[in-house]
Amino acid sequence: MTEVKKTYKNYVNGKFVRSESGKVYSVNLKNEKFEIPLTSKKDLRDAVTHSKEGFKHWNKLTMYNRSQILYRLSEMIEGNKDSYISLLHQHGLSKNESKKDVENAINTIVWYSGIVDKWEQLTGNLNPVAGEYFNISHQEPIGVTFSLSSNKVSLNHLVKSFLPAMSVGCSVISFTDENAILALKLSEDINNSDFPSGSINFITGNFGNIVEDVGGHVEVKLVAIYSDITNEFIKTLSERGADSVKRIFNKPAVDGLASILPFIETKTVWHPKGK
Amino acid sequence: MSLNNAIKDKQLEWSSVMDIVNNVRVDELGVIERTSSLATRSIKREAKLDALKRIVTMCDLTTLEGEDTEGKIVQMSSKAMSPDPGDPDVPSAAAVCVYPALVSTAKKVVKNSNVNVASVSSYFPSGQAPLESKISDTKFAISEGADEIDIVINRKAFFEGDYRKVYDEIYSLKEVCGNTHLKTILEIGELKTFENIKKASVLALCAGSDFIKTSTGKISNGSSREACLVMCRTVREFESFGFGKKGIKVAGGIRDAKDAIRYLVIVNEELGDEWLSSKYFRFGASSLLDDVLKQIKKLKTNAYQSSYYFPRG
Amino acid sequence: MNNWNYAESKESEKIVSIEKKYGHFIGGDFISPNSKKYLDTISPSTEEVLSSISIGNEKDVDFAVQSAKEGLKQWEKTSPSERSKYLFKLARLIQERSREFAVLESLDGGKPIKESRDFDLPQVAQNFFYYAGWADKINLAWGDQRTQPYGVVGQIIPWNFPLLMLSWKVAPALASGNTVVLKPAETTPLTALLFAELCDEVGLPKGVFNLITGDGTTGSHLVNHKDIRKIAFTGSTSVGKYIQKSLAGRDVGLTLELGGKAANIVYNDASLDEAVEGVVNGIFFNQGHVCCAGSRLLVQEDIHDEFIKKLEKRMQMLRVGDPLDKNTDIGAINSKDQLDKITQLVNEGVKDGGELFQIECELPKNGYWFKPSLFTSVQANYKIATEEIFGPVLTTLTFRTPEEAVEIANNTEYGLSAGIWTEKGSKILWTADRLEAGVIWANTFNKFDPASPFGGYKESGFGREGGRHGLLSYLKDSS
Repeated sequence: MTEVKKTYKNYVNGKFVRSESGKVYSVNLKNEKFEIPLTSKKDLRDAVTHSKEGFKHWNKLTMYNRSQILYRLSEMIEGNKDSYISLLHQHGLSKNESKKDVENAINTIVWYSGIVDKWEQLTGNLNPVAGEYFNISHQEPIGVTFSLSSNKVSLNHLVKSFLPAMSVGCSVISFTDENAILALKLSEDINNSDFPSGSINFITGNFGNIVEDVGGHVEVKLVAIYSDITNEFIKTLSERGADSVKRIFNKPAVDGLASILPFIETKTVWHPKGK
Repeated sequence: MSLNNAIKDKQLEWSSVMDIVNNVRVDELGVIERTSSLATRSIKREAKLDALKRIVTMCDLTTLEGEDTEGKIVQMSSKAMSPDPGDPDVPSAAAVCVYPALVSTAKKVVKNSNVNVASVSSYFPSGQAPLESKISDTKFAISEGADEIDIVINRKAFFEGDYRKVYDEIYSLKEVCGNTHLKTILEIGELKTFENIKKASVLALCAGSDFIKTSTGKISNGSSREACLVMCRTVREFESFGFGKKGIKVAGGIRDAKDAIRYLVIVNEELGDEWLSSKYFRFGASSLLDDVLKQIKKLKTNAYQSSYYFPRG
Repeated sequence: MNNWNYAESKESEKIVSIEKKYGHFIGGDFISPNSKKYLDTISPSTEEVLSSISIGNEKDVDFAVQSAKEGLKQWEKTSPSERSKYLFKLARLIQERSREFAVLESLDGGKPIKESRDFDLPQVAQNFFYYAGWADKINLAWGDQRTQPYGVVGQIIPWNFPLLMLSWKVAPALASGNTVVLKPAETTPLTALLFAELCDEVGLPKGVFNLITGDGTTGSHLVNHKDIRKIAFTGSTSVGKYIQKSLAGRDVGLTLELGGKAANIVYNDASLDEAVEGVVNGIFFNQGHVCCAGSRLLVQEDIHDEFIKKLEKRMQMLRVGDPLDKNTDIGAINSKDQLDKITQLVNEGVKDGGELFQIECELPKNGYWFKPSLFTSVQANYKIATEEIFGPVLTTLTFRTPEEAVEIANNTEYGLSAGIWTEKGSKILWTADRLEAGVIWANTFNKFDPASPFGGYKESGFGREGGRHGLLSYLKDSS
């Protein structure tokens, strides 16, 4: 029997925390076994509360600032590249696949870092209305986002499940089950990249335990599903979510401009022109 | 500071006038949209006949040309008293409006009627003269028998930012006028912006004018319905805070009955129908009256008319 | 002198001819309903029955959806530039027959002819013109993003702007290559039925536009039909939530444009006279039957009395009466149900302690009418301050600072629109940034344009209609 190597914790509000329930579940890698938190309903509620605050803080920063923080994350991963490669290898990927995946992840982060101060120039515009009005449509982040990250063992897929939302200014609660170790390891680098507390949170566990609450929590404005979950779960999320007209996206795009569109809300402002 | 606070004791300090002027705010497009929305009012049948007859009573028949002669003035004054001799239902006009030198001529004709004689003064139309000259110009017109005086504001002073001078001149001329009715011309075509129009309206009203008037009729952008609306709102504000009812005269480019009715709609809906009499609303015009007379006859006979049915003015 | 009263100036009804009975418009033909059931559509200003319309049952809906599936094959084969031309032609025909449409809209819905003639119909035509031009430029709209139409789209529209909402839905849907099954509201189906005739007239391929009339059950059949790929709904928040629930777990696109309780913020440095106009237009336009109506007046405390005085005086000038009289400002309430709802909420407002001002005016004997109303002395917890009334009723609240104004404005589950009145530019931008609303009117209100995206934050729905952004409501990502 392999010995328990390390107890990873959830990353919420910039802190590493155990589940308040004290419950854990085990993840077995090739040579190692880890115990990680089994997120409870109360843990979820805490995460949402902090994420709501985190949204405010993340949004207060200038785009330039946010862009640099994301870039900083890519630097951190670059510095710890080997440990990611070895962790992915532990998950069963070949050395080569692992290396490739980490490099892709770094490229993805750099791409999103660079779009932070540009996307609005691509999604917003003046509207040529028939009258003496200045009319502009620009975009704002929708807010607290719950993201179910991909089931694939991949750092690149993991970062793609929260960067689109974060790059436009949403705060994210990133949920993982099978890939929990990867996510919780990443949270350590995130913790060293100047993200405001609560802007990005990682929780782990069994989605079935919290699906009702994710759907029903009014402060969760959007749910993005990047993983393969049962239609039953999707139905539950949508049914509960409908009570607060929650935005729910199943398998949103993961590349390019299309990947960020779900996370923005268009605001159109009119003003007369006159003297 | 709003007008409300400024005139609590019914007495306006200059500093209060300046406060009001400095806080004038008008949204141009809002004014334009409201005006065009009021222009869609559909005035038909008895409402139209009522409007047309009112317009006749509100007309200041005007001639202000270098070529004006006694003969021309007599003719116009006579028409003012009886615009349509063939229809006793058609009332007389409000006044004739002439240069000071022709006041006595006009007065002789209308003296036993309810038609007033209005005289322009204060070095109409430019107002580019010293105050003393404007005063003597005005005194002369009154001594010749003018019932009403139409002066121009000092646009030079206005654009130089010397609002005090604009105000003082009007104030002094109102002193000269005493009970003689004073209309102050803003010349909105030169003021251009609605904020300027409102500022000038405030200055004119605070300085004691009985009427504010859009234009001399001597420039191409004479009157506009939008300016009238802004002036109505200023008058309304003035009245609602206890300064009494003041009047408005629109002049310059109002040539047909349809346009004139649209002005009435603005006055009706912005100020209320107490303003719909010659006491508070006038048209300064020369050709408007003929179109109104034609329309009255058309309504009564259901046949379109020619101006040769009506006497020349 | 005596008062000057505007004589009645009535738009003639003769221009419209209404059939006694209407079928559904499916596959390019009007057909009798399988349900064999009809319901009356009445004029809310007279309570006269105008016509009977079919109630679509499950079979009717299925027939319409199958027709739209067939239509899709044709529409896919039609080149984008040809699609564009069909929409341009529809725009032209609407312009040509706009008087007829306007009269019909006012008869069936109760809105003043002034509005149907000068607002609804020009906007409808412009909307078809606007999206006609997009039909062959879809690939330019969103950069290199690959998109495709959904296919068969179900659209459910409300009774407040019947034909305008049809144009908001149908024009972008067809321009992006979808085919449509549209269900108009049960109280206002007539202009949609006339529009169907136009589709036939321009030779739109059969099945591209299908119209199914009926009530809520018909709409429900449409939402639940297995072959619908997307639902676009405009209406109440409760029905929107019901639709979202019904579609849970199904791969069906959804956009919702729901209710609102918009704040109209008047700062003490606003142009007050224009602000009064904007506030009046904001709440009394279309009898207040407007989802983005400025139904909560937020006025800065130091100008409250002055502003309310001006507002009441202005309200008194509103002319309530016959929708077909060209001088009418406020027409009839759309239905008995809606009138009851408004009346009940207003009564509750009075009971709660709100101070009610209603204009003095005579209301016609028949039909459904409600006097333009203004509540002052309202507390934030009164129902009239939180619930959408959807009628000519304005609720006033006061604030002291911009921060407080924003807080009150956002203190609602809705987020459709908001208004800001101040002459200070930086304050407009500061406030606009903080208001949670999809459309913000600064120093104006209730302005619309086909090029301008419209839609809500929060529980006012999701998705946009209008502009480049409106196309996304009818295209899905295909990367």
